[in-house]
Amino acid sequence: MKLHFERVSKSFGDLNVIDRFDNTIADGEIVALVGPSGCGKSTLLHMVAGLEQATHGRVQADDQDIERPSPKRTLVFQEHALYPWMTLLENVAVALEFQGQPAEHARNEASIWLERVKLAGFEGYYPHQVSGGMRQRCALARAFIARPQVLLLDEPFGALDALTRMTLQSVLKDLIEQERPTVVLVTHDVDEALYLADRVLVFSQRPARVMREVTLGHIPKTHDLTAFADVRREVLTLLGIDTDTDTTPSATQREAQGETS
Amino acid sequence: MSSTSTYGVASKRAYVLAIAFILFFWQVAAWFLPSFLMPDVHVALVRLGQELTSSEFYAGLRNSMGRLGAGYGAALVAGVVLGLVGGTLNSVRSTLKAAIIILQSIPSIAWVPLFLILMGFGNTPIIVVVAIGAFFPTALSVMNATESVERVHIDAARVMGASRTQMLKRVYFPAVTPELITGAQLAFGNAWRALISAEMIVGFSAGLGKSLAYSGEIADMTGVMTNILVIAVLAAVIDQVILERIKYRLLRYQYV
Repeated sequence: MKLHFERVSKSFGDLNVIDRFDNTIADGEIVALVGPSGCGKSTLLHMVAGLEQATHGRVQADDQDIERPSPKRTLVFQEHALYPWMTLLENVAVALEFQGQPAEHARNEASIWLERVKLAGFEGYYPHQVSGGMRQRCALARAFIARPQVLLLDEPFGALDALTRMTLQSVLKDLIEQERPTVVLVTHDVDEALYLADRVLVFSQRPARVMREVTLGHIPKTHDLTAFADVRREVLTLLGIDTDTDTTPSATQREAQGETS
Repeated sequence: MSSTSTYGVASKRAYVLAIAFILFFWQVAAWFLPSFLMPDVHVALVRLGQELTSSEFYAGLRNSMGRLGAGYGAALVAGVVLGLVGGTLNSVRSTLKAAIIILQSIPSIAWVPLFLILMGFGNTPIIVVVAIGAFFPTALSVMNATESVERVHIDAARVMGASRTQMLKRVYFPAVTPELITGAQLAFGNAWRALISAEMIVGFSAGLGKSLAYSGEIADMTGVMTNILVIAVLAAVIDQVILERIKYRLLRYQYV
């Protein structure tokens, strides 16, 4: 499914969050949005999901304006999106049941998907009984079970420790390669963006504008990102992170300015 | 699992101690007051034993439980429905909540004279008074809980394509259940007080409240204390055993 943004602006009252965003995401493309927190990346994602409407401009999926949520465009939240009153199996099955599929079929499919994310044996556990990493595996299964054409990820692994996060990134990468949805990933982990995405959009502070667009291409990648050192340095510098050992004083100054603005 | 059972034992011991303490004070009062004013504990217990074999006692019990069931049951259903609907409709929520807070400050027993005239002498006014007592805490707790259902739980359901009914059944209802149960226990206290007082006033056919009022009228203090004993024990059993068990069953996921 192709996504198209045309002069998209969004404001909440006087607060201008996104300012005239233009972009087109091709079918099957994996695009990461990185930027400072609170810059409106998540708002863009919510607009694609149909949870929010643009104030100006249009957001389209396959040349149709997005007006409401649809299981074709599913969203994976940061955490706490699993229902605490449902077991892991029920949490995954509910995605199909909400689409009117019979409970039995939904449960069978759910157990297949739990196996695919290496959660076999944990079907009867409740979310609070398993680790954060396992909860997000379950959230991925719940997203993929509906065979979405667009997969939206809102800082999906933001609450996990570094090692678990890398494992989950690999799980996600495999699932994306097998299912081939169009992916929009919001993250403030630059390495995550470089590892998963074909294209990275670097956003400015609010109101969000694209400062830089990096095309990596759909090439095989590992967690060893040495080949992307230059891109990584450039993106980090754009985000105001110090990458140069010589200019410590000026970097400190920049940081101080960043905090006051 | 072990922590809940430890808690259970501790609270059981607390209960036994509390009951012993209450009975002790009753007995002390009985030693100081003449027996026609305050009967000994064992005298009341003997009377209770006799009551338990009489069919009249069971007829009264059945009537009272029927009224409680009808009033409390209707209040729970209405409270959940109004709470869910009110909690999801932003436009009416604050007005509705204010109205509930005002109305709930009126003791439900105060409605008896009006309902007696309106509905006639019979079961109906008692049931309605019980329902009023139980409705407000239920509706209020469900409404408050509905307001604070996590945004992400609702958004997730919308993204997965949930219909309005599915949303209410699979997301809102389970999300508000913990608060609903707390509200229902509070509502039970109200319903029970309303039931006994209404029966004492209305005095229509046999019932726990009527039996208590009658004992008072004929200055049978043993009867009064026996009735109070029955009322106290029943309330404790319903609240601490039945409602607690339902709570445990509905919120099983929290205890595993």
